[in-house]
Amino acid sequence: MTLSLKDAEAILYREAECLDESRWDDWLDLYAEDACFWIPAWKNETETTTDPDTELSLIYYKGRNNLADRVWRVRSGQSVASTPRIRAVHLITNVRLVRADEASAQVASNFAVNLFDKRSGRTHTFFGHYRHALRREGERWLIAGKTIVLLNDTIPTVLDFYCL
Amino acid sequence: MFTGRLSDLIDDRPDEGIFRVSRAIFDDPGVFDLEMRRIFESGWVFLGIADQARDPHDFFTTDIGRVPVLVSRDGSGALGAFVNSCPHRGSRVAQTLAGNARLHVCPYHSWSFDSAGRNKSVKLKRAGCYAESFDAQSHDLPALPAFGEYRGFLFGSLDADVPPLETHLGEAAKLLDLVADQGPDGFELVPGAVTFTFQANWKLQLENCSDAYHFTSTHPSYIRILEQRQTANTGVAVKSVWESSDYWREDAQGVAGGSFSFPHGHVLNWGIFGVTEALPLFEQAEALAERHGAAKRDWMFNMRNLSIFPNLQIAENASSQLRVIRPLAPDLTEMRTWCIAPKGESAQARRQRIRQYEDFFNPSGMATPDDTVSYENCQRGFASRVEPWLQGYSRGTTASKAGGNPFSDLIDMKPARSVLADAQLGDETLFQSYYREWARRMAGVIGQ
Ligand code: FES
Ligand SMILES: [Fe+2]
Repeated sequence: MTLSLKDAEAILYREAECLDESRWDDWLDLYAEDACFWIPAWKNETETTTDPDTELSLIYYKGRNNLADRVWRVRSGQSVASTPRIRAVHLITNVRLVRADEASAQVASNFAVNLFDKRSGRTHTFFGHYRHALRREGERWLIAGKTIVLLNDTIPTVLDFYCL
Repeated sequence: MFTGRLSDLIDDRPDEGIFRVSRAIFDDPGVFDLEMRRIFESGWVFLGIADQARDPHDFFTTDIGRVPVLVSRDGSGALGAFVNSCPHRGSRVAQTLAGNARLHVCPYHSWSFDSAGRNKSVKLKRAGCYAESFDAQSHDLPALPAFGEYRGFLFGSLDADVPPLETHLGEAAKLLDLVADQGPDGFELVPGAVTFTFQANWKLQLENCSDAYHFTSTHPSYIRILEQRQTANTGVAVKSVWESSDYWREDAQGVAGGSFSFPHGHVLNWGIFGVTEALPLFEQAEALAERHGAAKRDWMFNMRNLSIFPNLQIAENASSQLRVIRPLAPDLTEMRTWCIAPKGESAQARRQRIRQYEDFFNPSGMATPDDTVSYENCQRGFASRVEPWLQGYSRGTTASKAGGNPFSDLIDMKPARSVLADAQLGDETLFQSYYREWARRMAGVIGQ
């Protein structure tokens, strides 16, 4: 079956819920083993970088194991920036099915993530665009790629993976 | 306004082995204001690299302290640096981070300037009923009173009364050579800049770059993850330089590195990495030895955290980062950061450098946030005056020697002071160089 817009939304909302609620294993489970997770940096006022091998990214990982490393870090108790975690609520809107067939789909959406760091008293909103590449593996649709274009890229102290 | 004395801020008694810094130096608004005037707005400040304005009419914008600056290459290829503020009514003229423009037109009333900063037009000049005396004034963008280049590193000053740039850099220039000489065609900034802020004083960044003592306690999560990647050996992870170094192993024996201090507040904290394939430079190891000799080549492979006072840091450890420190308020600092790399390295080496960089240096990576959150914790603590003096400038006191050592001799470099360290020393005496220069510069506006 081809992915419907409703299915796509459900996957995006589930991912947001996992990140907001620190359900890290459930979050990792949404990703394919070879998933690519990419937040490009900006080259200037209007263009992001486009080639992670020759240009800088904020985060570029190929492979879910790298995301598992990041999860390990926030759980480890060995990172002062990670504990206590920053409270987050993901708001995802304007979800569009860019392309879909039996095996794969591309989903575009907009996000605003509201953050509150109790320790510093800092509130912040990161906003931008998501592009999810979804792939069917057996009965499930998995995230094979996620590209996050962060529009407000002056980063107040910390940007962890769950802040976007 | 700050009404205290220098001796309230820095307690420097070398004969007694005492060096202490007051918390007030980090959070007093009056001190901050004087720093802006005396350190950032009347001395040499790093602006950028020549490659950011590579071709004729290329430009980039930056700031010296609170003052906007335009660096532009003119039609003949000469670099110039100007206050980026229109002589008419003060508007910032160049609006973008970088670009190419033969003519900069002020967006407010359209006065225009060429790429050498010369005024080319005053809109509707003839109809303007100007007095004759108006023509006697220069309508050009004011050039920075001092501007200089050392091997592609550009510096400027808002005060003409500065020593020559070569004097300011002194022997620390040889550490810039180690960056500039890695590629036969020089160096560049990898496309993609990352800007972040932290709610703490700019000098915490100055210190942290040189702080060997914090690595194992601030970054255990990063260290553990590298260890886990090594054993997992998935082939996906990028090699890490820390694998081959004793620098951070608390049980290691023997010389692991150390520090050098220079006049004018420049310092280096360094560690032995060895010529390892974990560094992207490895493909150049033989060529570099041929070009520069094995000793200088080995230094290029050493871990090096260099601060050129007050605002440039080049960190070559997990990867290679160029940072520019920009103080915004006593408790707010902006960092502009780039991956700096030799031109012409292989695609594989560049990819490795970028991946190592992102994991370690980015505010979205696995190390820098642990530093910056620690700065913010310090800043909170600085509010206390119950005991104003801080004790973190004392490790290495009995190890610090005047002059260099066999390691600086290898590149014919003559620092003012040096420390040879094992992995446990965590020298802090190099910070003293920052604060002695700080005190020297502030002496004109704060009484002894
Ligand atoms: S302020 Fe520039 S032309 Fe008026
Ligand atoms: Fe650090």
